[in-house]
Amino acid sequence: MTTALKPDHDVEYELQSPNWSSIWRKYYRVWRVSIAERMTYRADFLLGTFLRMLPMVTTILLWQAIYEGSGENILAGFKYREMIAYLLLVHISRMFSSMPGLAAGISRDIREGTLKKYLIQPLDLLGYLISYRAAHKVTYIVMAALPYGIIFYLCRFYFDGIPSASICAAYLLSLILSFLIGFYFEAAVGMVGFWFLDVTSILYIVITLNYFTSGQMLPIDLLPPFWAGFLKALPFQYMAYFPAVVYLGKVQGNELIWGLALEAFWALFFAWLARYLYRRGLRHYGAYGG
Amino acid sequence: MMSVEECATFRASTDHTVPNHDSEALTVKMPPIIEVDHISKNYSVFRKKEGFKGAVQGLFKREYNTVEAVKDISFSIESGEFVAFLGPNGAGKTTTLKMLSGLIYPSQGTAKVLGYVPWERQDQYRRQFSLVMGQKNQLWWDLPASDSFELHREIYNIPKQQFQQTLGELIELLGVKDLTRQAVRELSLGERMKMELIAALLHRPRLLLLDEPTIGLDVVAQVTIQKCLREYHERNKVTVLLTSHYMRDVEALCRRVLVIARGKLIYDGELSGIRDKFGQEKILKIEFQADEPPPDLSQYGLVGTIEGPTVELRVERPKVAEVLSNILARHTIADVSVQDPPLEQLIARVFEEGGTGE
Amino acid sequence: MQSQSPTHEFFAARPSQTWKRYPRLLGRLGMFTLIRELSLRGNFLVKVAVEVLWLGILLAFYETVFARTTMVASWPKQDYLFFVGCFFAINGVLETLFLENCNEFSNLVRTGDLDFLLLKPIDEQFLITCRRVDWSVSPNIIMGFCVMAVSLWNKGWEFDALRVGLFAMTFTCGVAIAYSFMLVLTSFSVWLVRNQSLMEMWWLFSSLARYPREIFQRGWANSLDVVFTYILPILLVVNVPSRVMVKTIEPKMVGFIMVVTVVSLATSRWFFQRALRSYRSASS
Repeated sequence: MTTALKPDHDVEYELQSPNWSSIWRKYYRVWRVSIAERMTYRADFLLGTFLRMLPMVTTILLWQAIYEGSGENILAGFKYREMIAYLLLVHISRMFSSMPGLAAGISRDIREGTLKKYLIQPLDLLGYLISYRAAHKVTYIVMAALPYGIIFYLCRFYFDGIPSASICAAYLLSLILSFLIGFYFEAAVGMVGFWFLDVTSILYIVITLNYFTSGQMLPIDLLPPFWAGFLKALPFQYMAYFPAVVYLGKVQGNELIWGLALEAFWALFFAWLARYLYRRGLRHYGAYGG
Repeated sequence: MMSVEECATFRASTDHTVPNHDSEALTVKMPPIIEVDHISKNYSVFRKKEGFKGAVQGLFKREYNTVEAVKDISFSIESGEFVAFLGPNGAGKTTTLKMLSGLIYPSQGTAKVLGYVPWERQDQYRRQFSLVMGQKNQLWWDLPASDSFELHREIYNIPKQQFQQTLGELIELLGVKDLTRQAVRELSLGERMKMELIAALLHRPRLLLLDEPTIGLDVVAQVTIQKCLREYHERNKVTVLLTSHYMRDVEALCRRVLVIARGKLIYDGELSGIRDKFGQEKILKIEFQADEPPPDLSQYGLVGTIEGPTVELRVERPKVAEVLSNILARHTIADVSVQDPPLEQLIARVFEEGGTGE
Repeated sequence: MQSQSPTHEFFAARPSQTWKRYPRLLGRLGMFTLIRELSLRGNFLVKVAVEVLWLGILLAFYETVFARTTMVASWPKQDYLFFVGCFFAINGVLETLFLENCNEFSNLVRTGDLDFLLLKPIDEQFLITCRRVDWSVSPNIIMGFCVMAVSLWNKGWEFDALRVGLFAMTFTCGVAIAYSFMLVLTSFSVWLVRNQSLMEMWWLFSSLARYPREIFQRGWANSLDVVFTYILPILLVVNVPSRVMVKTIEPKMVGFIMVVTVVSLATSRWFFQRALRSYRSASS
């Protein structure tokens, strides 16, 4: 006589209709696994994080030379210290908005047919990916907090203290929106893989361009007025430039509110776009048998 | 490979203390091609702890286990022999082979192959042997095999004419004439293996090391490879070392077998000797006419798997005839077969019983 | 069926043969990789396009900066442009010939396919670092030289055979030193688990090499200047050839880079062999 076994609630894909606690548990498991995965690569993670900061030193020195060569104190509204602060803050923005391997992973799943399970099982690809990314980001930020903290402490002279509470709140909001824009933008690019097999080439071009257009190399304001205006109309500035200048207090009052509103708009736009492409793509995928 | 007569003449011409037509000269013994002396290999494995807590602990402190892959193995192999290494997975066969190719240093012991110490990896040594590993590809994936062969020619510095000749012979032997122009990734597993073999033999090595060459291949491909190996060996008198856990490979190709289990050499001799030494049992596979086999079979021997009306029965060899006749007398039989237990089982059981052997 | 001829003894290491072998082998490897890359034409063109974009970005940065200043770290505009072109060309050489192979090394270690390369009767360092030629990055070399040519033209430079000769030599030395660093980083793959570190550390390396040395020659950064010029001579790689061409020739520096080249090639080779030893003793 066999005894009825109690169903194991930790089963990943539940066949009953999902309720909130099961969804939460699902994503919590993903989160925990991600942390363990991160911990495994200890040596090169710690080393990598520290070494990643070394180019900052050359950047600081380079801009010092540039300012000296120009003989001016202010370039495009940035004092030297502000310039360095900006370039440091851009790292923080990128910590939130960079999504390494997201688009490539999606297009690979499409190509290799592993996407099929999303046609059958009640698991939402975008939902799964965003929780996975959020988990990774949280772990990364937690682990990077110490080395980054040290570096920012060493560079505290470049900053004018901590800005007001409202600016901090706006900054935090801009970072979260930056995460969303970064995620949904790259997800949308990945979704193009439903129609074009080789997304990675587009991706390389996009990423290379993004390095400049998001303001990671220099503040967009430094460019000639036409180009600066053009780039500020694009969503890419929110992935690095915008949060940094918010923190520095260069965007105030109405301008700040408009900027955040526009950022929210872009986040919603790309969220919609990604989801739309996903739905259309799945239909396309299913019709062609994958 | 020089024959004994050529060898004697050669020696005679250079070494004047060896008489020319003495019967002794004709039985001059060439030194063994492979001499392995008390070789052992240990290595440390990081012991991964389970779970989240374990992963965090792994950040700060690491514990290591020592694995003894090969324990005190000695043997010697003469030129021209075709020898098999048999053993269950993880027994140390591949490790031994890698030590002979110089890829790994032994923890203890010495070896001499073709007169060289393998792990010194002199260019001269590397020119004279080949290692082929089953299911591993060393040819360029996207290019046709013939390009890889050209590359081989450069690397091994094979003179053009000899290269053309050898290539032609090998292609004919392995029957791949129209396939060399196709990209390697388009070939089937069996065809790829054939190309691997060709690449391995292009520079006419004196020693051929094969690590599970027919693993993963279908039966037809296996047989083809076996045939080719046998023919090549007969024609060119290469020394071949083959590791496998397929009985068929071994039976088809070798007479001498070295059995390795858990790092130890437990048998070194003729294939037939294994059965004599270790195989005291036969497996009787009996299919009864009735739906279920009778429940009292354990009196005849060890009852193995039961599938419907079919039973596997282990019986000691001398008793097979008696048991069969008893069963046939008592029950109606649909089908019967008498088999040798699979070699792996033999070896596994031998080891479990603390196999001393030789 | 003829018996095997004793060719092995005959083709034992004849020195003249050896010297010709490696370039010939390299040529053949280059040809094979070219055929392969051209068969994937679309991909090839995209990669070239990305590299052109990248140069475009570097030049955009350069232009933006020099729109607001006439001198950076005592390098005037055209000299700095030459520096950028030199960096791009040297980086192009390294990425074309070596980077892909070094990257793949960690995969070889992980899958154990490295064994096959160790079995060949050819120098392992050559085989591992030169196996493939990444032709899609090769236009970078041409682009770098074009940028350098443009800057010289803009300067109204007069042809000086000595400078050109010294430049060619120091350029090669720079490549050799950078190669040595790459080799040492690659060797670490034997011990580290993930490949990511190699690319990151290469990025770090190139980010140090891409600016004129003068930016380090102030205050607290002076120690960095000393470290990265005399101990880990990354700063020599682009700086010395560029200076030779557009600034005064410093015989001490030229002599120094030659010495450093020899030392770094020898040291990196030794380290690489150590790493291979370690791989082999951990192998199973």
